[in-house]
Amino acid sequence: MNSKTPKVMVVGGGIAGLTAAWELSRQNIPVELVEKSCFLGGHSIGFTCKATDSCRQCGACSVEEMLKNVVEEPLINVHLRTEITSLEKGEGFKATLVKSDIGLEAGQVVRGFSQYNKPLYVVAGDAAQLPPETEVAETGNLDSLGTEGDIAVDAVIVATGYTPFDPNLKSTYGYGKWPNLITGLDLENIIRDRGALLRPSDGSKPSKVAFIQCVGSRDERLGNLWCSEVCCPYAMRMAGTIKHDNPDADISMFYIDIQNTGKEFPVFYEKIKEDIRFVRTIPVDIYPLENDRLELRHMVEDEGKPSSEEYDLVVLSVGIMPGKDTTAISGITGIPVNNDGFLDSPASDSGCFVAGTAGGPASIAATMADAGKTAFEAMKYLGVMK
Amino acid sequence: MMTDKSNMVDITLNKDVLVVGAGSVGLETASKIASQGYKVSVIGQKTACARQSGCTDEMLNSGTVNIMQDVVLEDVAGVTGDFRVTLAKGEEKMKAVFGAVVVAPNYSYASLNGAYGLALSDRVMSQSQFEAFMDSDGLKKVAADSGSDADDVENVIVAFLTGFGQEGDPVSTGRALKSALAVQKTSGCKAYIYTGNIKVGAKGLERIFTEGRHAGVVCFKPSVMPEIEQNSDSVKISITDPVVRSTIELEPDYVVVEEALVVGQDNLDTATLLRIDTDLDGLLPSNNVHRFPVRSNRDGIFVASNSVDAANVALRIAELIGDGIKNVSADQAKVDEERCVICLTCYRSCPHGAIFWENGAAAISPAACQGCGICASECPMDAIQLGDFTDESLRKSVKDAVVSVEGSPSIVAFCCKNSALEAGEAAARFGHNMPAGFKMVKVPCAGKVDVEFIMKAFVEGADGVMVAACHEGNCKAERGNTYAKWRVNEIQKRLENMGLGKDCLCFTTIASNMAGEFAAKVNAFADKLA
Repeated sequence: MNSKTPKVMVVGGGIAGLTAAWELSRQNIPVELVEKSCFLGGHSIGFTCKATDSCRQCGACSVEEMLKNVVEEPLINVHLRTEITSLEKGEGFKATLVKSDIGLEAGQVVRGFSQYNKPLYVVAGDAAQLPPETEVAETGNLDSLGTEGDIAVDAVIVATGYTPFDPNLKSTYGYGKWPNLITGLDLENIIRDRGALLRPSDGSKPSKVAFIQCVGSRDERLGNLWCSEVCCPYAMRMAGTIKHDNPDADISMFYIDIQNTGKEFPVFYEKIKEDIRFVRTIPVDIYPLENDRLELRHMVEDEGKPSSEEYDLVVLSVGIMPGKDTTAISGITGIPVNNDGFLDSPASDSGCFVAGTAGGPASIAATMADAGKTAFEAMKYLGVMK
Repeated sequence: MMTDKSNMVDITLNKDVLVVGAGSVGLETASKIASQGYKVSVIGQKTACARQSGCTDEMLNSGTVNIMQDVVLEDVAGVTGDFRVTLAKGEEKMKAVFGAVVVAPNYSYASLNGAYGLALSDRVMSQSQFEAFMDSDGLKKVAADSGSDADDVENVIVAFLTGFGQEGDPVSTGRALKSALAVQKTSGCKAYIYTGNIKVGAKGLERIFTEGRHAGVVCFKPSVMPEIEQNSDSVKISITDPVVRSTIELEPDYVVVEEALVVGQDNLDTATLLRIDTDLDGLLPSNNVHRFPVRSNRDGIFVASNSVDAANVALRIAELIGDGIKNVSADQAKVDEERCVICLTCYRSCPHGAIFWENGAAAISPAACQGCGICASECPMDAIQLGDFTDESLRKSVKDAVVSVEGSPSIVAFCCKNSALEAGEAAARFGHNMPAGFKMVKVPCAGKVDVEFIMKAFVEGADGVMVAACHEGNCKAERGNTYAKWRVNEIQKRLENMGLGKDCLCFTTIASNMAGEFAAKVNAFADKLA
């Protein structure tokens, strides 16, 4: 490397990209952080705290903290609404950036989930059409966002994340047809928007809730031969908070195998067994009932025959699938794609690195640790260490 | 008194690092720290090859990585940047100073055969024993000797027991899955797995599980531990299969039992010496999201349990030590020597181990102090002041926070800057409705909320006082929220005794990213006061 301070491009502003960028800045390395959407934070900034009386180590607050770190760090130059279209390797890299297509209609407003998102709201077209609750001072115009042109960098960290499984591929569940059949991500959005878990159909508090695990994960028929690792912890923690808010809630979790949440799992699992009824089977199909309740059919394990149960709300634990952009990013960077469709480890001398769920499922905590390791490897490549 | 921001001082940090644990992770961590230009001493029993763990010849020859075989930690004093360590090798004692300490625990494995009522024998092996047996082609030879190495005969049966002696984890499940697949691929052999939950939550395990099933590995997941009968030369395993609804019996030639991670007294002793907390399983460090993955409750002491941790430890050390000079606020927390009676309260209450003794009074290390203020609030002599949050400035903040608004109760909320303050600011920015008389008083940690300040808010005319802390287990100062809760309970009792009722004071916990929830809590409190 030459004598000037090397610069790194981080592609993706989710928790992996944020962490990698911040770790590099800790060592005085300038970073160009490129994010396709209008907001930093990725999927995880939308996640809500899962604490009951005590912290359940979901990591959602760490994302908020890391996002704050990054926007307040002058060494990190953030490019919102920007994507990379080509990467030329010479002495370093020449990355070509373009404004990404957000697909907003004129007058449409989107919001960030963190108070550290700048801007907090983004509007397409004329700002005069803002809805009344939106702060004008906090609103940016879509046209003002985005970077076009070439940037020279010395290494590239790809942190483009994952895509949630499309539940429409499980047609017997009828996602999209029944209002009270939602995914875990829908559930997070409901809590964000309405301050509590309320049924989409009528705004009532659901008292009987089912979680269905492994929707899209561990599914040989779909060729998805991986465990998404985060959905068992998600459902168990979420069930814990629902139960904490409403001790009368009746919660069932349909599963294949319960996966661990991380440290202290045996203690957590024993405790959560008091809150959740665990049913070892995956439901076959779902039908609508009166009052927008749902009937869920499944096989009863120890009776060997089908049974049906009624619920106010059914939550699909959709799995972590390779990011939509994976193939394109692989083409641009030359990073290979593995059997499962996630990014594989690039050659160590390529100058390209992968962080976070672009490489496969991981929790927030595991993603942050992985991003730290990736930043370390990038620094080693750049020769900023002995 | 406002903080004098110019009162910054340069402190010198020792640039040497001590790694406790000379297994592969300890040695890898040492190599990564050394690659950043720091000198590393590694102590403990060496159980891995230094070169294979990343140490270069240059590091080893130059002494940048100094492996001190069989040396143990005897005593640790001092604080981050300046740990004064006593090391021992047999009777010989050595003193050394280190800027940072890394623990790379050497956990071991113990067979759980006892949990299954099994005695280890030629036919009943622990997972480790069986792995060694496979590595030495033991099973292959047995299959050949029994004449069952023809492709269509499966005379040698191996049963794996996992997930009943313990809940298990992907590491344990992964070992069983890999061994079972290897058994199944050995001509004339067949593998059965009896398991609770198959822990496939790690890279590649679902594929190995699927490959095994396709190769013929049979997996049973009974809801209770199988019935096991061990005789002199045989073991019988019976389960009730829920699907076919009958009892399935198996007499395997080999039984392989899972193993549990054993923390070991040596690791616990190290934790005690370093005054760092362990989690509920006794593993280092304690379980707090703010410190994931490698920080302990003490600044300058880190834990590396795997290869990913090793890199993260190296980053934290470079951030901490840098070039050996750190610019810190000299009056972040200061002890008034005249007032200090050396009661040890601050020393005991400091979660960061930042307090020590100097010239007959307590002294606070500006390098290790995190400015939480727990010591200042707990000190019975009011001898400790925080630069940014003096008692005087907090009294003024409290006074300013009591506002009289028509039709709205006056609420003073003491908000931890790490959680509630963030949530409150976000609630305002996102336009959540809050009572007009609601005002926040920023505190460095709920542990800095003194009884005096709460009472002052009432004296100034507040209708309600709220103390808003981090959730239990989420406090950056470990116990600041607990101290705050105790104090609130104490004052509530006093208020009741005074006949004022306790409902005008509340304690709540909140996360930084929960603006809507915080607004709802504030509004509920206001409704109660109305």
